[in-house]
Amino acid sequence: MAAQALARAAFPLRSFFEQTGSMMILTARTIAAAVRPPYPYGEELVGQFLFVLKLSWFPMTISTFALCLGAPGLQAAGVLSLFGNLDRLGGFFVVTAVRFIGPIVTAAVVAGVAGTAITADLGARKIREELDALQVLGVDPIKNLVVPRFIALMVITGLLDIFAVVFGMSAGIAAELLYHQPLGGFFATLFANALVTDLAASVAMCSMFGAIIAVVCCYKGMTASGGPAGVGRAVNQAVVIAFMGVFSFLYVFTTVLLATNPELQAIR
Amino acid sequence: MRPAAIGWLDVPRGWLDSFGEVGRFGARVAGLVYSGRVGRYFGESVRQAGILILGSAIVIWAFVFILGLQCGVIGAYFNRSIGAPSLAGLFSAYCDLREGVPYAFGYILSAKVGTGIVAELGAMRISDEIDALEVMGIEPVAFLAATRLLGAWIAIPFLYLVGIGVAYFASYLAVVDQVGDVSSGGYLLIFWTYQDFVDVLFSLAKAMVMTTVIVLVGCYYGYTASGGPVGVGTATAKSMVVNIIMVHIIGMLGTFMFYGANPRAPIGG
Repeated sequence: MAAQALARAAFPLRSFFEQTGSMMILTARTIAAAVRPPYPYGEELVGQFLFVLKLSWFPMTISTFALCLGAPGLQAAGVLSLFGNLDRLGGFFVVTAVRFIGPIVTAAVVAGVAGTAITADLGARKIREELDALQVLGVDPIKNLVVPRFIALMVITGLLDIFAVVFGMSAGIAAELLYHQPLGGFFATLFANALVTDLAASVAMCSMFGAIIAVVCCYKGMTASGGPAGVGRAVNQAVVIAFMGVFSFLYVFTTVLLATNPELQAIR
Repeated sequence: MRPAAIGWLDVPRGWLDSFGEVGRFGARVAGLVYSGRVGRYFGESVRQAGILILGSAIVIWAFVFILGLQCGVIGAYFNRSIGAPSLAGLFSAYCDLREGVPYAFGYILSAKVGTGIVAELGAMRISDEIDALEVMGIEPVAFLAATRLLGAWIAIPFLYLVGIGVAYFASYLAVVDQVGDVSSGGYLLIFWTYQDFVDVLFSLAKAMVMTTVIVLVGCYYGYTASGGPVGVGTATAKSMVVNIIMVHIIGMLGTFMFYGANPRAPIGG
């Protein structure tokens, strides 16, 4: 009786560890399959790359512009205008748009838009037993389906981050224009505070986001089960796990980056 | 959504299409709630609120906690770089209450609750349970969609207010215990100076609008799912596209509305 109750209470924890372990194994197998010689996934890689780009460009543009115009644009400009130093907004945008908002919007859009589509696609193939059929035909699903998605998401998430930074900066310019400011001061403080370290770290961080999202979404898609409700539930779980994983990683990465790079804390 | 089946302009076009459809469906559901016709199924509404609390509260708070940590770390190092580390509370207060928590809440709500509703209602639609409800004389939109909206309206304010507290705690941990440039008292003094009760109400208003939109979008895509098991997955993915965009637009419009003309900061005369 007591053992049963304990087993029931420990079930969520056990399934958490089991799933984390399975995702780690999937990651290792994906990387091994990616570097081992026959490379049959070129066409699928290009297809997935374009697929993610076509899905993500519009939500990306709108989301980054809206978030950067509202949060750091209007709020910070409001406070800075009380001090009369609106030109400082450029320096502030380096901190927020590059370090913080670019990565979180990229993560949210790629996980929410591209990740869900990948899970839905793979989950549908699993439910229709296409994955089993592939295996019977001697085609390795990891090499032919997971690896191209993994690489495509890693590359495109990093590139979309640059996209996000560009649109974030244009939102900063829009905020300055809303306050009827000349743009010279904005660009002066922007370029004085912008460092290559910041941008490189932002892009590297987003590539890792892409890897996390790809592994989580492929894992959840390939293990979908349980009829019509199964695929929907898989998508639901995939996007929640991807969000949690990506944001935890964001916090750890930001902490390490800021604590180990004193040049990011200098006064300019 | 196979790779070949999508063009460059499909996403914006689909978004515009769904905007009108979701608007019409949402107006119908909100009408059912406001006119009190959902009262017939009040028990079901309370059950939905309970499911929301038991199933999603921990996930939502954990996500908001991570965002609070992130706000604290970014703010602490930013204030160090401008030479005013003791003002980290200003950044945390703005980042947590005014902007960060509403967005984080919108993200995790659309991920956990929005897609959950699509998966659930979509499965009902595919297995013809919704038609069965209609045959039994139960109005499906009122029983499935309106009860979920009312349930969310009952439960979400409390979840959100606790979420704000969780984010505050996380920011405190990050600024005072992790980075440690400012003492506990110095941090809290600035932190509480730069917010008041009205800010909490503004923040709550943003979150409630986001909640309403997310639940309605979820109900719409679940209610209109078609095309077998694959269709449910596709509908779930599509609802996420709409939700992500709507969360950002609502956040921006809220900021413009509440803080556009008045920064509401205790500075100057």
